[in-house]
Amino acid sequence: MDIEVAEERTEETLILLPVGRLDSANARSFEALVMEHIEGGQQSLVIDFSRLNFISSSGMRVLLIAAKKLQASRGTLVLCAMKDHIHEVFRISGFDRIIPIKDSRKAALGVTG
Amino acid sequence: MSFNDLRLSVAPRLSGVGNVSRIVEAFGEENGLAEPQVYAINLALDELIANAVTHGFADVTRPRIDIGLRVDDDRLVLTLTDNGAPFDPTRHAEAADTESPLEERSADNLGLHLVKSVADRVSYEFSAGRNHLTMERDLAGVAAWRRSGTVVGRGAR
Repeated sequence: MDIEVAEERTEETLILLPVGRLDSANARSFEALVMEHIEGGQQSLVIDFSRLNFISSSGMRVLLIAAKKLQASRGTLVLCAMKDHIHEVFRISGFDRIIPIKDSRKAALGVTG
Repeated sequence: MSFNDLRLSVAPRLSGVGNVSRIVEAFGEENGLAEPQVYAINLALDELIANAVTHGFADVTRPRIDIGLRVDDDRLVLTLTDNGAPFDPTRHAEAADTESPLEERSADNLGLHLVKSVADRVSYEFSAGRNHLTMERDLAGVAAWRRSGTVVGRGAR
């Protein structure tokens, strides 16, 4: 199953907006998309959660892989605009301490440039 | 059957979780559940169905997963029954890693850590060749995942 992901760009940064659910059924397709960008040289990535209603550990695993890859190549991954109940899951997973999470896209772009 | 006592047989495939979530959303709407409650149920279902589908059915010719969901006074009660390999998530403790720095972080056991975090009580029994898991979440008061303290994740079967 594929996930719908909108893409926008600033000069340096690619902004991905996954839509709806990021779950065990479509995490692989999201992983393939994200990895394609990172392996293609994209160093600055924002994932905007404003259109995402649901994420499970399968989706979080993809973010962890992406964050590790980007850290290794001195790139940046920033997440933003999470709904409160999703933010809570990042907190109880301890993901909020390893991947920056900003309230708004503007704040996220302030990190990535 | 009233809609505050939902019973559902789920296709034992990862692609089944999306359909289940829509039914749970409708259940939530019908019963006036807030979005975090519906999210908690769908999160638990995604993790548990994925775990059963990925690890439980290797030797099973006709895999089957049944779900029950009901509002019982001030609790949500989710039951999941499957005919996969016996697996007790309340034992087999293997902690999820929520502390390591990014370069050392692993996502292993994260799914069951989340299940236990969103539940106030989880119980398990194996009977008549099936796993029976019951998860309860209090609708009033402070949910488990709001409480501080150590939550131990469980290893996948």
